[in-house]
Amino acid sequence: MLKFINTCLVAAVLASAFILYSLEHQTRTAERDIGKLGNAIKDERESIKLLEAEWSNLTRPERLQSLADAHLHMKPVTQLQMVEEGEIAARVPVEPIMKLEEDGKDTIGDILKAME
Amino acid sequence: MDHSPATSIDAPDSGAKKLRGQNRLRLVAMCFTASFLAICAQLGYLSVYKNLGIASEPVAQYEPRLPRPDIVDRNGRVLATDISVASLFAEPNKIIDVDEAVELLTAADPALDAKMLRTRLSQSKKGFVWLKREVSPELKEEIFNLGIPGIGFRYETRRIYPMGRLAAHILGYVDLDSVGIAGIEKYLDDQGAIYTASLADPESRTTTPAYTTIDIRVQHAVADELAKAVVKFRAIAGGGIVLDVETGEVVAMVSLPDYNPNATDKNLSKSQQNMMTSGVFELGSVIKAITFAMAFDYGTTDLNGRYDTRAPLIIGRNSISDYHPMRRIITVPEVFTNSSNIGTAKMALEVGLERHQAFLERVGLFDRLTTEIPESAKPLLPKRWSKIASATAAFGHGFAVQPLQGLQVVAGLLNGGLMIPPTFIKRDKETARSLGKQIVKPETSEKMRYLFRLNAEEGTAANAEVPGYRIGGKTGTAEKVVSGRYVKDKRLSSFIGAFPMEAPRYAILVMLDEPQALPETYGFATAGWNAVPTAGKIIARIAPMLGIDLKLSPEDREKLEKQARIEAKKALVKAN
Repeated sequence: MLKFINTCLVAAVLASAFILYSLEHQTRTAERDIGKLGNAIKDERESIKLLEAEWSNLTRPERLQSLADAHLHMKPVTQLQMVEEGEIAARVPVEPIMKLEEDGKDTIGDILKAME
Repeated sequence: MDHSPATSIDAPDSGAKKLRGQNRLRLVAMCFTASFLAICAQLGYLSVYKNLGIASEPVAQYEPRLPRPDIVDRNGRVLATDISVASLFAEPNKIIDVDEAVELLTAADPALDAKMLRTRLSQSKKGFVWLKREVSPELKEEIFNLGIPGIGFRYETRRIYPMGRLAAHILGYVDLDSVGIAGIEKYLDDQGAIYTASLADPESRTTTPAYTTIDIRVQHAVADELAKAVVKFRAIAGGGIVLDVETGEVVAMVSLPDYNPNATDKNLSKSQQNMMTSGVFELGSVIKAITFAMAFDYGTTDLNGRYDTRAPLIIGRNSISDYHPMRRIITVPEVFTNSSNIGTAKMALEVGLERHQAFLERVGLFDRLTTEIPESAKPLLPKRWSKIASATAAFGHGFAVQPLQGLQVVAGLLNGGLMIPPTFIKRDKETARSLGKQIVKPETSEKMRYLFRLNAEEGTAANAEVPGYRIGGKTGTAEKVVSGRYVKDKRLSSFIGAFPMEAPRYAILVMLDEPQALPETYGFATAGWNAVPTAGKIIARIAPMLGIDLKLSPEDREKLEKQARIEAKKALVKAN
């Protein structure tokens, strides 16, 4: 009888030790993952910031203006090219002009092609 | 039991049967019990008592520093941010092959000096040497992938301003320890510390950006046109502000010459400071607008009033005369559109000395205007208020003020009489209204709007007219004071206006310091010929960005078409 109880107890000790250590192992892995992810997030944040700063630097109005002056054949919009809100309906052509390219009238498309 | 002779102190006379060494055993047992009790007590103290909260606070607390908030414009474009920059270092005592390391490094970055590298890496006793500070991210990646032993990177945080010079005066800058020492940067650390704290999230150790009121596109348009004007008119300095009339938000503020906030050595000269807030200037006739509003508000005159400008106004030993003499009796709108000093001085004298001072006090011109930008100057007013002081102050002589403060007052006069303190941190309309102060009656404001519009249609500000955007404005040309005297050929020309005039949304100020006369301005160097057309060009560029609706009358359309034809012809002539 006593032998049986002792065997049971030893088995229980072994089982609980196994559970305990596997739990600890899991916790450690989770902790390591958290740490890794935390670092990855920090790195990503850092690079987002850097990219944002770079984007901001590259899209400086000053720079865009000089690039536009050098490479685009465009001019600032004048008041004559703008249409008042109420007038839009009156200004829309009845038949939409399609197939600009076939007619050879696609000026913006030509500019884009020339750039390529 | 053994009855051996007693060797210990326990006397055999007691008769009790005792084991040998029983007392020693007892002593040892007591020692053990005592130490276990001590351990238990300590355990209890640490686990129970301390957690009851009776114990005192921790001696030292580690508080990680929160990152400095980014500064962005009103549309979220980054104006200032912290980036971590890598610096390249070496541990010479760990380097195995100096020649190989030098070769690899110079191949990766040709800018590195091979000789310098060799001498630094050969000091095999040293544990640490810098090779290059602030390495670009791409280069860092490349060197990192080389995997040279004993070569590493250290990271430092650096504040950068990606937009460069643009808005440098508003943003200010930080010192080497990332502490703001000018502009918004200083505000974030000083008066605005509570605001800064509200941006931070201590849990995730992040901060949301500080939204400024600046629109970087408008800022650039103002800076660009102003820079062109400064060059064209050979002025020594120039400045411009665009202010949202309804919220007091400063949409753009430029002061030229400016500086690059990214430069590490900022040895700023006096001319590079922000003239728009840290300097006071005599704005000249622009101040007449305040006198007109005062006279209307006190009811001493109205739009039908008439003033005799045939002879100079004599007060004591001084005489006041006009720049464009009319030599007849003129109406109040004519006084405004011809910028008559005599007429304006007479209006101020009708109001009276005390009420004149009271009105200037009401519009805040006796006090320093403070905004988030710490650099601000107090207005300079006449020391003694006499009849002559009041008469000259009426048209802006002897009366110097921060340009931003001048614009604030004029914006208040035009928007229905509510003067709203200007700000550089985004705010909504309700907050702005609650901060505002009614300075004149709405009817007075209506009259002022009429005068401003009239002046841009046919008065001194006619050159600012951009068809379709209903601009209104007032010009000012002040002679500069050099060593206590007004100098005739040193002028400060300015324009203050607003658009669209029927319900102003934005107020604008343009200032040029010592502009020169040009052949195309027919030898004139007054505001109407330099500051005014500059303002017109700025408005034509920014009005579409700011969403001002265009209203072209048939005459406007005709005028524009004519202009377009002339320009097309010019271009044709040029092409041929």
